[in-house]
Amino acid sequence: MASSEPPAPAASVRVHVGQGEHYVTSDPDVMLTTILGSCVAMCLRDPVTGVGGMNHFLLPEGAGSGTDAGRRYGAYAMEILINDVLKAGARRESLEAKLFGGGRMFDSLKDVGVANADFAERFLRDEGIAVVGGSLRGSGGRRVQYWPSTGRALQRAVTDQALPAVAARPRPVEAVDAGALELF
Amino acid sequence: MPAASAIHTLIVDDQMSMRALIRTSLQQIGFREFREASDGEAGLREMITKPAHLVISDFNMPKLDGLGLLRAVRAHPPTQGAAFIMLTGRADKELVQRAVQFGVNNYLVKPFTVAQLREKVEGVFGVLT
Repeated sequence: MASSEPPAPAASVRVHVGQGEHYVTSDPDVMLTTILGSCVAMCLRDPVTGVGGMNHFLLPEGAGSGTDAGRRYGAYAMEILINDVLKAGARRESLEAKLFGGGRMFDSLKDVGVANADFAERFLRDEGIAVVGGSLRGSGGRRVQYWPSTGRALQRAVTDQALPAVAARPRPVEAVDAGALELF
Repeated sequence: MPAASAIHTLIVDDQMSMRALIRTSLQQIGFREFREASDGEAGLREMITKPAHLVISDFNMPKLDGLGLLRAVRAHPPTQGAAFIMLTGRADKELVQRAVQFGVNNYLVKPFTVAQLREKVEGVFGVLT
């Protein structure tokens, strides 16, 4: 029976990705969202399988993109998203990325946003992952929405008031809970 | 005390950035002899062609993961005496336990510092000169 009613939009599930977090899905109903100041979010997907995800990272305080500490932390933040996307069925050779964030914030003396953006671009270049869009650097914050299954991304500027307080340092990711297992 | 410069190392990781980080970290400790492989299969081929004294391997890799590489290295007489350090994520406690069963010598949690890498290597070889 024909109907004049437009089809109801698919139920959309919003998942917020906070600083130091990442999320991977192949569910076409999932929209990933985050709010970025000087942090950077990598939106990554395999257009063939529709598997994708987003991370949200900030290089450690005082560790620019060229420093050892910055590269160590940043490479790990990127790796855990890449690994989880691959584990969920994506193929490495198909991966494409969009990068957002790295804005210059009014309250920062050093332009840490540029360091984050420089790191992300260099990392993807080194790893041979295509950057197909996004928005890096500039001033102020952004709210980003990303649909991994289609690769669609939206951003809009946000005021300082809307930005979450950024932790002074990234969440610690050191050390397995070694109390439970110590070798040697 | 072993000289770091005399230890031949095979670095196995599917990310070029991570291999570069490991290499520069080892260089800061005094290592000079490196080879690299981008997955477990390639790492095993390298080991069979020319065994290294030390393998530093990621776990999550295509084709053959770090555990598979460890098992293969331990099963092959010419390579079974190599020291093997596994790189893990912080949530991989179960993986470390399995790696211990298969004969791993030590593990290193990412992201690591040069001092942590040195500590893990010295945990296997003794204090390096």
